[in-house]
Amino acid sequence: MAEPSPLIEFRAIDKRFFGVDVLKSISFSLAPGRVLGLVGENGAGKSTLMNILGGVLAADSGTMLIRGEPFLPRKPRDAAAAGIAFVHQELNLFTNLSIAENLHLDSFPRRSVYGLRLPLIDRAAVRARSRKLLEQVQLHHDPNTLVSALSPGERQLVEIARSVGAEARLLILDEPTTSLTAPEADRLFEIIKRLRDRGVAIIYISHRLEDVLSLCDDVLVLRDGQVVSSGPIVGYTPERLIREMVGRNVDQLFPAHQAPATLKPMLEVERLSREGVLTDISFTLHRGELLGIAGLMGAGRTELARILFGLDPFDSGRIVIEGQPLIPSPRECIRRGIAFLTENRREEGLLMDDSILNNASLVALPLFARTPLKFIARSALRFRAKETTEATRLRAAGLSRQMARTLSGGNQQKVVLAKWLMKPPAILILDEPTRGIDVGAKQEVYRIIQALADQGTAILMISSEIEELIGTCDRVMVMAAGRIVDRIDRAEFDRHRILCAALNTGVIV
Amino acid sequence: MTPTLRTSPDNAAPHQSAVLSRTRTSTRLVPIARVALSEYSILILAVLYFLSMWPFIPELGSRANLTNLFISMLPLLAVAIGQTVVLITGGIDLSVTAIIATASIVAARIVSDGNGLLAHHPAAITAAVFAALLVGGVIGLLNGGAITLLGMPPFIVTLSMMMCVSGGTLWYTHSTNIANLPDGFIAIAYGAPLGIPLPLVIVVLLAVLVHILLRFTLPGFWLYAVGQNARTSRISGVPVRGVIVLAYVISGVCAAVASILLTARLETGSPTQGDKMLLDIIGASVIGGASLIGGKGKVIWTVFGVTLFSLIANTLELLDLQHFTIMMIKGGVILIAAGLDVLRRRLNFGN
Amino acid sequence: MTVRPRDIAPIIARVAPMLLLAAVMIFFSARSPGFRTLGSARNILVQSSSVAIVAIGMTLVLLTGGIDLSVGAIMFVAAAVAGQLALGKLIPGAGPAPLWLCMVVILLVGLVMGAINALLIARLRMIPFIATLAMLFIGRGLALHITQTQALNLPPALLTIGQSSLIGVPFPIWLLIIVAATAHLTLTQTPFGRQLYALGNNPDAARKAGLPVARLLASVYILSGLCAAIAGVVSVAQLGAISPTFGSQREFAAVAAAVLGGTSLFGGRGSVFPGSILGAVLIQSVESGLTMTNADPYIYPIVIGGIIFIAVLIDRLRASGETR
Repeated sequence: MAEPSPLIEFRAIDKRFFGVDVLKSISFSLAPGRVLGLVGENGAGKSTLMNILGGVLAADSGTMLIRGEPFLPRKPRDAAAAGIAFVHQELNLFTNLSIAENLHLDSFPRRSVYGLRLPLIDRAAVRARSRKLLEQVQLHHDPNTLVSALSPGERQLVEIARSVGAEARLLILDEPTTSLTAPEADRLFEIIKRLRDRGVAIIYISHRLEDVLSLCDDVLVLRDGQVVSSGPIVGYTPERLIREMVGRNVDQLFPAHQAPATLKPMLEVERLSREGVLTDISFTLHRGELLGIAGLMGAGRTELARILFGLDPFDSGRIVIEGQPLIPSPRECIRRGIAFLTENRREEGLLMDDSILNNASLVALPLFARTPLKFIARSALRFRAKETTEATRLRAAGLSRQMARTLSGGNQQKVVLAKWLMKPPAILILDEPTRGIDVGAKQEVYRIIQALADQGTAILMISSEIEELIGTCDRVMVMAAGRIVDRIDRAEFDRHRILCAALNTGVIV
Repeated sequence: MTPTLRTSPDNAAPHQSAVLSRTRTSTRLVPIARVALSEYSILILAVLYFLSMWPFIPELGSRANLTNLFISMLPLLAVAIGQTVVLITGGIDLSVTAIIATASIVAARIVSDGNGLLAHHPAAITAAVFAALLVGGVIGLLNGGAITLLGMPPFIVTLSMMMCVSGGTLWYTHSTNIANLPDGFIAIAYGAPLGIPLPLVIVVLLAVLVHILLRFTLPGFWLYAVGQNARTSRISGVPVRGVIVLAYVISGVCAAVASILLTARLETGSPTQGDKMLLDIIGASVIGGASLIGGKGKVIWTVFGVTLFSLIANTLELLDLQHFTIMMIKGGVILIAAGLDVLRRRLNFGN
Repeated sequence: MTVRPRDIAPIIARVAPMLLLAAVMIFFSARSPGFRTLGSARNILVQSSSVAIVAIGMTLVLLTGGIDLSVGAIMFVAAAVAGQLALGKLIPGAGPAPLWLCMVVILLVGLVMGAINALLIARLRMIPFIATLAMLFIGRGLALHITQTQALNLPPALLTIGQSSLIGVPFPIWLLIIVAATAHLTLTQTPFGRQLYALGNNPDAARKAGLPVARLLASVYILSGLCAAIAGVVSVAQLGAISPTFGSQREFAAVAAAVLGGTSLFGGRGSVFPGSILGAVLIQSVESGLTMTNADPYIYPIVIGGIIFIAVLIDRLRASGETR
C-alpha cells in the first residue's frame, strides 16, 4: 500500500521568544486516519507548536502545509476554517448554556421563511443535530440539559462532540484524560479510534505514557524545542519515551523511603461526615508516614482534604492533631502546623502575577513580622526563601524578578511547595501534587516529599496515578462514593486491588 | 530575513514577510514600554506638562499660584491615598464623597459657634476631629463588613452606601450648610507652625504612614496578596476578610482627613462637600498606576497621579474655562490614563 | 431527601423580585388609597418606561460581564443636541428642525456615543468601568456645553406626543414594548443572543471557540447607547424640557433595575423579560409610592440605595445557591 499523502506537514518551523529558541526547525507530517502521540516535558515546546498550528502564535520561519497547500493561520478562526479542532486541557464550555447550544455556538442553524434566512435559531434542527452528535460520542443526555449539570468527563465528551460536529479533519487533544475517571477515559479512547477510522487525523498530547503507547499509531518526542525522535509507535517502550523526553535515564523514578519505626499519631480523624459528600471517614496519620488516598474523581478525596483544612464545613465527626481537637480554618490549621497543597495550582496555589519571593513568603510572613508594629524582616525573609527554593531545586531567573506566571508547571509547583516549606509543616496534605508536570519535575517532587517524611513530617497524599501512590506511600486508603472502602499496607500493594476497590461502590462501569 | 526566505518555498514568501513585520512592530514598542512602565513616568509627565504650559500661562509658576495648587491638592491626595489602598485589594470605594460630606457635617455640628453641640467648649475641636475620623472609620467598617460577610461586589456596596449616607446627611441638614466654625478649627487649614502649612504636615504624615504600612508591614504584604488572588491568600492563611475590612477603614479614615481639611478651609460644614470629587479621586489613583484589577499601586504613584491631575485642573482654571469644559478634559485625561494602564498590562504580559 | 436552608435560599432568591414587588405594592396600597387605582398602575408603567429601556441596554452589557456608566450622559447629550436642533439654536441661521429629524438625531447621537464606548472597550480593551466612567463625565460636560447649562423648554408639540396613545396604550409604553420584545427575542432566539451569554460565562473559552468576541462586545455598548437614546426620547416627550440634571444618575437606576431583575454583575446570567423590566417597575413603584404617601423627598435616595443593596444581596444568595 502506498504511503497516504499527509494531511498536515510542518517544515522547519522555528520560534523564538525574546531571543530564546523555543522551537528549532521542527519538521514532521501526519496522514489522515492516524493518531500521533506528542510527548515531551513541560517547556519542551508542545504548547508553542500547537499554538502555531492553531493560529494563536506566528512562526518566525518555516512553513506549514495542509494537503500540500501552504497554511498560515492568523487567528484561531483560520485554523477552525481549515478543519483543525482543539480540545484543550481546561474545558472550554459554557456552563450557563445547554449542551445543544454549546455544540452549535458558532454555527447555529437558522430558521428560514420562503427561502429567506432569518437571524433566528432553528431550535428543531439544533436538537436533531445535537442528538446525532451525542449519539456518536455515546453521551445519552437530553440536548437541552445545561452543561453545569454534567460531570467533568461528560463535559469532555461534549467538547469532542463539538469538534466532531465541526467536521474537523485534524483533532488536537491536549491532556484530555486529566479529569476523567478510568471508564470515562476508556470511552474516550473508543471514540478517538472511531474518529481515526473515519479518516480524521489526531494529535494526542499526554503525560500518561501508557495511554500514548496503547492509543497512538505514531509518536513524536520533543525536547528543548527539538524533535528527538519520531516514527511508528512499534519499537517504543515507556522507558525509551522517558529517556528521550528527559535526555537521561530515569531508572529510579521513586526514591527509597523507609516507613517510620515508631508510630506516633499526628492527625486523627474520627467518623467525619458531611451529607452527600463524606460518610464516616476515620483514619490516623502518623509522624513520618506517607499515607496515600486513591479513588476516582468525585470519590470525596479532595473534599476530605478541603474539610480537614477548614475550607469546607462538615456535619459531624472529630479531627484531632497531636492529641488536641482541631476546629479547622486555614489560619488555625497553619498555626497547628498543617500545610495544604491544592490540586488547583493556578487559582488556589499561586499569585500568578507576583514574584517567586512573594509567592514563597505568603504562608510564613507572620513569622517574619514579630515586632509589635508587624514590620517584615525582609532580609531574613529573603534568605529563608532563597534557602527553601534552592532546596526544591527551583530553576528561575531571579527570586524577586521572575513572575510565577512565566514559570513552567513543574517550577510553579516547586514554588507552591516552597511556600509551605518556609515554615516546616508537621502535617502536609498534598492534592494531586504532580498533576500536569513533567517527568523530571515529578521525580524532584517525589524526592522532596520523601525527604520531608524522613524528617518526620506526616504526609497525606491524594493522587489519581496509582503508580505514584504505590511508588511513594507507606499505606494507601481507597475512597469511593465518600467512604473509605479499602486500606492497604505497603507489603500488599496491588494495582489491581486498588482499582477494583475504587470502582466497586456506586459507580456503574 | 534572508535565511527565512531560503527555507520557505516561494509561494509562502508573502505570508512570511507579513509575519516578520508583525514581530517588528512589537520590538519597536520597547522604548515606549520603558517610559510607560517606569515608576516615575507620571512625575516626568507632570513636569513636562508644567514646563510646556508655563510659557502660555505665566501666572502658573507664580508663588501664589503654586502655594494655592499645593494646598488645594492636599485633600484630594488624602482621599486618593485611601482609594489606592482599596484599589490594591481589587475593590473600589465609591462612598468616599459621601464620607467627606458626612464627616464635614458631623465635625461642624459639634464645633460650630452657632448651634454646635460643644460650642465654645475647650475640647470641641479635638472632639470634632475625632468624631469625623470615627465617622469615616465606621462607614469604612460597614463597607468592608458588607463586602466580606455578605460577599457582595464592592462597586454596589459602596454605591448604595454612598446613596444612603449622602442621602442621610442631606436629609439631616435639609441641604443647609453649617457655618460659624471657630478660629481654632479653621486653623487646621490655615495654620503654619514653623512656617510649614499644617495641612501639608497632616497629609505628608498620612502618606508616609500608609506608605510604611504598604511596603514594610505584614498587613501591607497581605493587602497586595489579597488583591491578586483572594483564594490563594485564604488558603495560605491570610485573614482575607480582615485585610479587606482594613482597606475600607483606611479609605474611610483618609476621606475623613480630607473632609476635615476641606471643612476648615471653606470654614463651613456642607452636606455636599466633596460631591464633585469622585472623578478626581478615581482618576488620580488610576493615573498614578493603581490597577482596577487589583494587586498594584503605591502611595508615591498616587502622589504623582494627584500632582498631574491637580496641575491639569489648575491650568484649566487659570485659562478661565467653563466647569463643563474642565469636566470633559478631565474625563479625557482619565481615558488616556486608562489607555496607559492597558498598555502597561499588555507589555507586562508580552514579557 | 430532607430540605435544608441552603436548598431553600436559592429558591427564595429566584422569586424574590416578585415577592419584593408584591410587598411594595401591598405596603403602599395600604398607606395610600390613590396607589391602589388602575390609573396609578398605568402611571407607574409609563414613568418606569424610560428607566426600563435604559435597563434593557444595560442588561446586554451586564451579560457580557461589563458595565455602562455613561448611559445617563448619553441620554443627556442626545437630548441636548436634538433639543437645540428643535429650537433652531444648534446651527446658527437654521430655523427649528422638524420633530422627526430631532428624533432621528437623538438615536444617531446615542449610536455614536455607544460606538465610542465600543471602540474603547472592544478595540482598545479598556476596563469598562473606567472607560464608561470617563465617558460619563465627557458626555455630561459636552451636554452642559451644548445647553450652556440652561434648561431647554421644548416645543409643546413634543409633550403632546408624549401623552398621546394608540389603542389605549400610551406612547412610552409602546416604545418599551417594542424595545423589550426585540431585546428578548434577540437574547433568547438568535445566535447573537446566545453568544452573549457564552461570552459572559467564560470569555477565554469564547475567544478559543472562535466567537467574534470583539464584535459582540462592541455590539452591546452600541446597543446600550441606542437604548439610552430611545429612553432619552421617552423622557423628553414626558418632561417637555431638558434640565441640566437630565439623565443624571440614570446609570445607577438602570444597573439597579437589571440586578433587581436577576441579572448578574459578573456576566452570563440575566434576562430582559421579566428580569430588568420587573426591576424597573419595582423601583418606580417605590418612587411613586413615596410620592403618593407624601414622604420626605430627602429620603428617596436612601430608600433607593437600600433597595439596590437588597437587590445585590439577593443576587449573591442566588449565585451561591447555584454553585452548590
